[in-house]
Amino acid sequence: MSIPWLLSVPLCTSLLCLIPWKRQVTRFVFIAGSLALAAMAFILVFRYGRGASLFAFGGNLMMDALSGIFVILIASVGLLASIYAGDYLFRQAGPNTSPRRLRRYAFFFHVFIFTMLLTVCSNNLGVMWIAIEGTTLASAFLVNVDDKKSSIEAAWKYLILCTVGIALALFGIILVYYSAVSRLAGGEGEILLNWTFLLAKAQSLDPQIMKLAFIFILVGYGTKAGLAPFHSWLPDAHSQAPGPVSALLSGVLLSCATFGIVRFHILTQAATGTSFSSVLLIVFGLLSVAVAVPFILEQSDYKRLLAYSSVEHMGLAAIGFGFGGIMGNYGALLHIVNHAFTKSLLFFSAGHLLYHFQTKHIKGIQGIFRKNAFLGIVFFSGILAISGMPPFSMFVSEFSILAAGFLDKNFLVCFMLLFFLTLIFAGFLRHASQMTFGAGPQAPSPKRSVLMDSVLGVGMILILMMGFYIPAPLNQLIQRASQVIGGVSS
Amino acid sequence: MDAEFIFSLIHFLGLLLLIASFGIIASPQLAACIRFYAVHAFLLALITGLVGYLNHIPHLVALALLTLLLKTVVIPQVFFWIIRRLGIRKEVESYINIPFSLILAVLLVFLSFYVTEKMRLTSIASREFVPLAVATLLFGMLVMTSRKKALTQVLGLLLMENGLFLMAVTLTFGMPLLVELGIFFDVLVGAVIMGILVFKIRGAFEGIDVDQMTVLKG
Repeated sequence: MSIPWLLSVPLCTSLLCLIPWKRQVTRFVFIAGSLALAAMAFILVFRYGRGASLFAFGGNLMMDALSGIFVILIASVGLLASIYAGDYLFRQAGPNTSPRRLRRYAFFFHVFIFTMLLTVCSNNLGVMWIAIEGTTLASAFLVNVDDKKSSIEAAWKYLILCTVGIALALFGIILVYYSAVSRLAGGEGEILLNWTFLLAKAQSLDPQIMKLAFIFILVGYGTKAGLAPFHSWLPDAHSQAPGPVSALLSGVLLSCATFGIVRFHILTQAATGTSFSSVLLIVFGLLSVAVAVPFILEQSDYKRLLAYSSVEHMGLAAIGFGFGGIMGNYGALLHIVNHAFTKSLLFFSAGHLLYHFQTKHIKGIQGIFRKNAFLGIVFFSGILAISGMPPFSMFVSEFSILAAGFLDKNFLVCFMLLFFLTLIFAGFLRHASQMTFGAGPQAPSPKRSVLMDSVLGVGMILILMMGFYIPAPLNQLIQRASQVIGGVSS
Repeated sequence: MDAEFIFSLIHFLGLLLLIASFGIIASPQLAACIRFYAVHAFLLALITGLVGYLNHIPHLVALALLTLLLKTVVIPQVFFWIIRRLGIRKEVESYINIPFSLILAVLLVFLSFYVTEKMRLTSIASREFVPLAVATLLFGMLVMTSRKKALTQVLGLLLMENGLFLMAVTLTFGMPLLVELGIFFDVLVGAVIMGILVFKIRGAFEGIDVDQMTVLKG
């Protein structure tokens, strides 16, 4: 059991999905593939990856505790999303959805998961870049599933903006490589881009060049992570993609891009020995939270509402990494985990809402609770969770991040953050209570799907449980990962 | 051929490269833009090959051949095929007119020389090319932001990628082969996917002007 095996699962599944089988068989392969992936990911991370980091392909691939968290996230959100998509697209899709289109969808879905796994498992910074660009290419077709005008527009903007951003990140990587080549003569060319190698020799890298490189990386991967002011593709893509795809985009794709930034953040910190990168992370993080506020307060589309909330939460995670220390890094990582589960739950329930009410407008929806009590409870608790209310999991991580800020004596940042979070909470509560309560039009409810409802149920249990109790292996994993970021175990 | 001669030849080619970038910005026809792009890529391949030959780096020569094949033949042909299929004959429409974008381009060249001077890079290969690479990158951005057609946006993206490639080749003798091959693969797949999307845009919007894309706001 090793990293190549893990990576081969989604790759094989995607190819199997292309074979023109019957609809039901494709659907079975589609879900079974993610099930196998999830099982392997859990075994690999919690069994084999317990001690030292795992390496593969001559050190080009690596899995340490930090990657482990993201592997777990990708596999579990991927599993939930594929089960949901199995019903959402394969069963409910109208007769006008051709089997060919469904197969293409299943193919790109698993390729997308593969590229994300490759991103977090790559030790070679160049390979990581290739994988992140790959995620954009694979998911562009997932954003545009129905060939509507608005979906094509969203897919185009997504593709162009993210590719430009990523090109800037490549500039940063060339600078890092240049810094390595000019200062670390004698090393073999192939390993000069390896993160572990660079970190070990960080002292001898040129601090000025590393600072410059970090700026380019932050802008480049920040575009992909949805940090303001480079987030403009995000609400479009998230609102146009089908529910399960939005869940993947928001829950794990943004986190994977943040992962890329964090890897460079660690390097820059080690090379410059200053808080240069931390300050930049805090500034852009705070800006992201601030930018999200007006759009959340005055929003008419509930999927865009959730998308702007992703901008806010990626900003919060960036601030957590910026505060640093064991507390800040732990909080930020926990926040990414919690955000992945909570936001994907919300996007799944948004898929339900679209199915029940046939509209994306907040104003068009009233009385979810009356119509479908289960959905009402899940949606409303999801909204409470995402705005950081106890007893849900996001409260714990937001609290840790803020605590890290106070420990770090960043009072101004913390107070601004608290102010913005309060406003966002008010905005969410206003929209959600209007949607959930009250008497809606009593149209007959469409047929419910047990599988889709059970995905919501599982998500609900996860966000409640993580508020009270984080399973010990996961907790240890996050702690070890925050030590990796803090440079303790380097 | 002695090293001195090749060295000055590389510099001359760099000059031609800059002229080709100006050509992309100056030409009013989409087809002419693509031809200039092909010339640009051809010069890039020559420079890469010569740098590789001069410093005895075989993998740079391989990359040069790949550039020659992919960027001067395959990608322009794909572009021409798309143009024929879509039946685009009209001129390139731009938010800013061509004389003004040329002035902007000149300013961008000055800017890139000024900025890279500040960076104080001690280049391993040839330092003179760093400002050229940055200028190409900026030209690509200029093309992307000032043109209305979806296809010219893709062209701008490819121009940016050429700039990055030039930067990698001349600053550090190219990234490791594995990484460069992966980047080539991404560029090719990206160009194909964008091409497919251009067809879809054409189908849905009755034209490929991106300023019609105004559905999504807020």
